[in-house]
This record gives sequence, C-alpha cells and structure tokens, in this order.
Amino acid sequence: MMRGGKIAVRLLGPGPIGLLCFFAMLLLPLVANPYLLFVGTQLSIFVILAVGLNILVGYCGQLAFSQAAIFGIGAYGAGLLKVHLGWSFLLSVPAGAALACAVGTLIALPALRLYGLYLALATLAFAQFTQWVFLNWERVTFGAGGFRLSRPAFPYFTAGTGTFYIALFVAAILVILAARIIRSRFGRAIIAIRDGEVAAESLGIDLLRYKALAFGLSALYAGVAGGINAMTLGFVAPETYDLFLAVLLKAMIVLGGLGSIAGSVLGAGIVLILLELLRAFKSAQEIVFGAILLSCVLFAPSGLAGYLSTRLDSWRERYVRAFSPLQAGAARDAAEASSSASPVSGNA
Amino acid sequence: MLTYLLLGGLTSGALYALVALGIVLVYKATGTINFAHGEFLMISGFLAYSLYVFAGLPYLISILGAVLLAFLLGAIAERIAFRPLMHANMVSLVLATVGVSFILKGSGRMLWGGRGDYLAFPPLLPPDPIIIGEIILVPQQLVVLAGAMVVMVAFALFFRLTRIGKTMQATADNPKAARLVGIRVEQVHMLAFGVGAAIAGAAAALMAPITLLYPDIGFSLFIKGFAAAVLGGLNSMAGALLGGFLIGVIESLAGGYIATSFLEVSAFIVIMVTLIFKPRGLLGLNAVRRA
Amino acid sequence: MSSLSLRNISVSFGGVAALSDVSLAVAPAEIRGIIGPNGAGKTTLINVVCGLARPDRGSVELNGRTVTGMKPSAIAALGLRRTFQTSSLFGGLTVLENMVTGQHLSTRPRFLATCLAARAVREEERETVERSRRALDFVGMAGFADRLGRELSFGQQRLVEIARALVGEPNTLLMDEPAVGLSLVRLADVDRLLRRIRDERGIAILLVEHVIRLVMEVSDKITVLSSGSVIAEGAPAEVRSDQGVIEAYLGKGYHARGQ
Repeated sequence: MMRGGKIAVRLLGPGPIGLLCFFAMLLLPLVANPYLLFVGTQLSIFVILAVGLNILVGYCGQLAFSQAAIFGIGAYGAGLLKVHLGWSFLLSVPAGAALACAVGTLIALPALRLYGLYLALATLAFAQFTQWVFLNWERVTFGAGGFRLSRPAFPYFTAGTGTFYIALFVAAILVILAARIIRSRFGRAIIAIRDGEVAAESLGIDLLRYKALAFGLSALYAGVAGGINAMTLGFVAPETYDLFLAVLLKAMIVLGGLGSIAGSVLGAGIVLILLELLRAFKSAQEIVFGAILLSCVLFAPSGLAGYLSTRLDSWRERYVRAFSPLQAGAARDAAEASSSASPVSGNA
Repeated sequence: MLTYLLLGGLTSGALYALVALGIVLVYKATGTINFAHGEFLMISGFLAYSLYVFAGLPYLISILGAVLLAFLLGAIAERIAFRPLMHANMVSLVLATVGVSFILKGSGRMLWGGRGDYLAFPPLLPPDPIIIGEIILVPQQLVVLAGAMVVMVAFALFFRLTRIGKTMQATADNPKAARLVGIRVEQVHMLAFGVGAAIAGAAAALMAPITLLYPDIGFSLFIKGFAAAVLGGLNSMAGALLGGFLIGVIESLAGGYIATSFLEVSAFIVIMVTLIFKPRGLLGLNAVRRA
Repeated sequence: MSSLSLRNISVSFGGVAALSDVSLAVAPAEIRGIIGPNGAGKTTLINVVCGLARPDRGSVELNGRTVTGMKPSAIAALGLRRTFQTSSLFGGLTVLENMVTGQHLSTRPRFLATCLAARAVREEERETVERSRRALDFVGMAGFADRLGRELSFGQQRLVEIARALVGEPNTLLMDEPAVGLSLVRLADVDRLLRRIRDERGIAILLVEHVIRLVMEVSDKITVLSSGSVIAEGAPAEVRSDQGVIEAYLGKGYHARGQ
C-alpha cells in the first residue's frame, strides 16, 4: 500500500503531469476547432510569459511591472520588421526577441539603485511610456489602430495549427530551460540576491551582473512570446500589451506560486481559463483578477505550488522553496531600523 | 498662449498636488505606497455623480457625502489589505494594493460604466469664460484652484495643530517609539489611509465638473500624483504640493509647445528621470545611500 | 605583510564624522578585537573594509592590494568574508544551499553545460556539497544540512553564517558582533571557534564586539574606538586598564580595578 502510494505521488509530480499535458496538447489540433486551437496557442504564450516573469520576480525578487511592455516590444519588433523591411518570421521573431532582451537588460541598470517599491513604480512608468510610444510614434508603429500581418505559411498545416505547434515546442523548451537554470549556480545567485542582497554581495556575487542577467533572461522570454503572439494574432496593437496584462501576469505567478516554475505553468493555465470564461465582462475580469491577487497574497502566499508541496512530496522543488513573503519581513524591519526608507537600495 | 497654458497647468497641477498629498500622507504614516489611491478618487467621483444626479442631493452635500464615503473606503481598504500584511515584505504589499486597485476599478466599471464608460458631471458654474485683460479663465478653474487651496490649508492645520495630526506625525517618524508611548499604530494607519482617500475624494469632487469621469481615470491620476510626489520628495508633504504644480505646468507646456501627445507622457518621464537621477526629489529628506 | 591594513580612514555622513583618521593593521592568524561605546563607528569600520561604505579619505589594503572603493563582490573575490549583526542567512534556501552559495566564487559559470546537465557539472556539485558538509562539521552544525535557513534558531543561524563565510576559504574574516544574543554556552562555542579559525587556517580576524568578556578572552590585540577615533590599542590587559578607555565607557571619575 505504501509503495503504491509513493508511486502515485511520483506520478502526480510536476514532471509526469507536465509530460502528460504536453502530449495532450500535441494531439489537440486533431480534435479542436480553430478557436480552441487559438486558445491553446495563447496558453503556450502565457506559460512562456509567466515562467519568464517568475524568474525575475519570484526567484530574483525584483518586482518589475515591465513584462507586458517588453512582451509588446517583442511583438512590435517582430511585426514591424516584417511589415517595414519584409523580413520573414524566421528572422523577425528572434530579432524582436533580441530587441526586447536588450531593452529589458537596460532596465536592470537603474534597477540596481532602486529599492523594491520604487523599482515597481519606475517599471510601471516605463511600461506606460512604452504604451505611449506604441500609440504615438505613428510613422513607425501605426498608432492606436495597430497593424495587420500576413500569417505564416506552413507546408502541411494551416497557419493556426503551425503557430500552435511552434508555440508549444518553444514553450516546452523554455520551461525545461528555466527549470535547469534555476538549479544552477546562476539560480542560486539570484535567489541569494532575493533573500539578502548585501550578504550575497559579501559572498562575491556581483549584483549588477546577476540582476542584469535576470532582467535580460526574463525579457528574452517575453520577447519570444511577443513574436509568437504577433504571428498568432496576425495583428499587433497597443492595447494588447497594457497594464491589465501586466496585472494578469502577476496574478499568474502569484497564484501558481512565486518561485516555482511548475506553479507558473499552472497559474498561466488557470488564469487563461478564467479569462475565457469571463470573456464578455471586462469589469468582472478586473474584479476577479484583482481579488485573486489580493487573496493569494493574504491567504496563500506560496500559491498553488506551495499548497501542493505540502500534500505531495514530488512537488517540492529540490533547490527552491515557494517564496513566502512573510519570511522577508524581518529583513525589512532591519533595513528600516538602520535607515529611513528611501528609493535608493539599501536592504539589510 | 503662455498664460493660458500656465493657468491650465496650475489648475491641473492643483489636482495633482492633492493626489500627491494623499499618497505622501499614507507613505509617511505607513511606509508604503497605496496603488489603489487613484481608484479611491475614481469611486468618489462616481459616488458624487450618483448623489448629485441620481439622488438629486445639493452639490455640497454630494461632495461631502463622497468625501466621507471615500474616507470609509480608505479605512476599510487599510483594514483588509494592508494591516494583515504590515509585517510582510514589500512585494506582498505592492501586489495586495494592486489587487485592491483592480477590484475597485472593475467595480467602478460595473456600477457606473456601460454608458460608453464616460460620465459628464454637470458644471457648477456657468461655463462662460471670464476675460481679464489678456487672460481667459473658465470659472470652474478658479473653483478648482480655490478649492484645492482650501483643502491644502485645512489639511496643514489638521496635521500640525490637532492632536490626531501630531499623533500621525509621530507615528510616521518613529513607529516603534510611537507604540512604546501607547499610540495605537494600527489605528493611525487606518486614519492615514482614510484621510488620504478623503483628500482624493475632495480632488475628485473638484475636478469632476471640468473633466469627464471614466473608470481608468484613477490610474492615470495615480501615476501623475506619484510623479508629483516623487518629484517633490516622497517624504515631504510640501514637496507633494510643489511637485503637483510643477507636473501640471510641465505637462501643460509640453503639451502646448511640443505636441498634445506629450500631455500624457511627461509624468512618466519625470518619474523615470527623478527616480534614476535624484531619488530624493527636490525637497526630500536625507536618505541613507549606499556607497 | 599584514592581511588587512587601514590607513587614515575618515568617513562622514551628512556632516557627522563617523570615523576620523583611523589606522590599523591586522596580521595573518591574528584576532583583532574592535571595541568602543555605542556610536563609536565600529560598524562603519566594517562597512568601509568590505566595500559597503566609501571612505572620504584614507585607504584599505588587503594582502598588500589596495581595495578602497572596490565593489563588495570584488573585494570578496580577493579573500575577504564578513558576518553580519542581524541574520543574513538566505531564509528560502536550506542550510546546505546556503553553503553552496557561499562557494559561488569557487565555482564556474558553465552555462551551456548546466543546460545539458553535463557530467562535469555534476562532479563539481558533488565536490561543492562535500566541502559544505565539512564546513558545517567544523562549526558543529552537521545535522542541519537540509533544514531551511529560516527554521533555525538565532544561535544556530549564527554558526551556519560563520560556516558559510569559511567555506569560501577566505584569508581575512570580518565579524560584526557575532556574540549578540547568544547564551553563555554558545559564547564558549564561538570563543573556541574563533581560536580554531585563527590557528588551523591562519585567517586574520577583525572582531567587532560589544560583549567585552569575549573580546578580552579571545583577541590577540584590541583597538578601541570612541566617537570615530582610535583612543587605545594594545594587548587586552593593557587596554582594560587604560584610563582613556575607562572614561570613554564609564565617564570620568572611574578607575581601573586595583587603583
């Protein structure tokens, strides 16, 4: 009985379940109508976004609100290179991702000096600024109306199916990559930065380099997702990449569990389902996702992954525990005791 | 042209100053920025509208009602979303207030939106402009400026002279010492949130007749208020006022001389530039800096 | 050649002089105690040495190499480690993971290899874990490897912090009030530990401390700071009976025992 139980726990772990979902998704185009396929593609895109954001917010502790904007930069980059210069998606999507990555890394520079709250607001301002550029640089971005793209052509599949598979494979690769990276020296370094910047520095961890890498990696994920999004929609417009999406992404990673890759995948899925259910009611969406954020923070700071890890051993990630906000409270008190809270970084 | 722009800038600046005041008050008292601050403003504006247009209450009563309800809203928000997280870390606090912000925004949209999402508050005074020599004024602008001044002075008096005000100040300066002396820090926090929201409510009341009300106005004003607060120095209330007027004027001038689209973006640029190059702002107090 | 040498260090914050013209030199395998009343500038001193604060004047040398103004992570790379007054363990990581992070500088980036989970990476990880366990053994915390940082008691966290600082094989160790809040039993542990660190590993230790008993017992030499300046320096016995030191702590009118 015990042995059977252990095997069951193993089977219910993130790895096996992930594999199962992956195979299920592989078969989706055989049974789904175009709309469902589109939603499936959205799922892959959300997964990439959520995992990328979690690397920055959950593992490195940098509360940045710029992910949605960088997602937009990736999409606009890929789309505009196609429309203005005639590049194929094969070239423009990676180029858009590279642009997004570059911008994201640059954000790390001021991030070095901005302590938590101010980083959040500065990145928020940056996100709004990016929106404004999308809306107003009409010569290049075509303004509020956005612009259309021709869909890519695939040899054996329809455009919808083709982009679905591309999104799925890219998402799978990026998720596995993220899981590997977190268990590496890099992963430990950014977690150390999250849990005690000053101590991390005293152990030789270069803050600038690792924060820049975290920002850059997260931006790369967002940029790739952006290019794929442009490909999927056949259309790029500013309102897709707005504040609401930024909050949606936060809801995904908080619900799934900050500091858990598998959690982010789950969170992305659940948020997408809710989004679809509430498709017609924007106001309801806002209320629901706001409530999810608030309740998770208040009642389940470790998210779903945290909850699952108390029930099933297989959900305990080897090198990381789901981020529990209350633990860092002591560090904040200590920081406040030694300096008046200021925008410039100085924790512990 | 210049005087026109300046006047417009000062008027909107007065509003930004009020929003910033609320933000700084809460920041000083609790050490946190309330992302839902703009939504308090939005809800009060809509509430005032409902009271005035639907319930038919006289103008001043509607305003007062809205301000009081805003105060309650602020206090409740503190109790629900902030107090439990008082000892948690900043990531949780920010996300919690963002959550509240969206709950309020969605509720506002649900309750009052739907008619194209924009509501026009009937103007209090006749809209005919007054012309004094070269200067053209819309009467409501004067009301806004005067009203904002009244609120600012009232608040300054409250904060400096009343016992409650001084208690808030003490708690802001040193929460641990305040607790030792018997000050109920939690209540002070609740009060700060409430008063901050009430100021936002007053701002909404003043601006409603000259602007359209819509659910997203909360965030838009929050960003500008925050820009003003950062520019002035986050822990300085005088700075908030100064910052507000400056933002209003900068915005107006940029919008007039560069392009109308610059009306929106000036605040964002100010935030980014200030936080990166002069995080203490113009009037901020000394902060400990890392070498 | 000294492990650590400070020359004419002066630091002021907002018009207040935290340190004025402070000089001292610590030799390898020496325990130098730094004592002084509150506000004497002890923590500022540590911050200057490890790079968290930049002196207005003066220089810091580590093993003959000038490190003034370098980033803390760069100075750490030259063999300096420090412990903190408040707990600095990474709460979200286990004790073992904390130790592995402490060896950040001894391991190499190897990005691609990590992605492919190459054997070389696993070998290195094994060695890292081995070194971690040895360091934990040294401080007597061997059984705690898999406990989360935040689950440990204050005294336990202290010991692990010391192990984490040692696992990187530093040549110089700065300790910021390691004894604060420790029981007498733990104090004896720390005392023994410091001596072992000095004797077995030849590390130079700069020990800032309030608990006079510990400092007097374990230091080879003591420097006394008051209001940012050095007012006495010498063997513990000399310093204990120095009139200036007594006045700094107790005010005028007191004398050393036996006078």
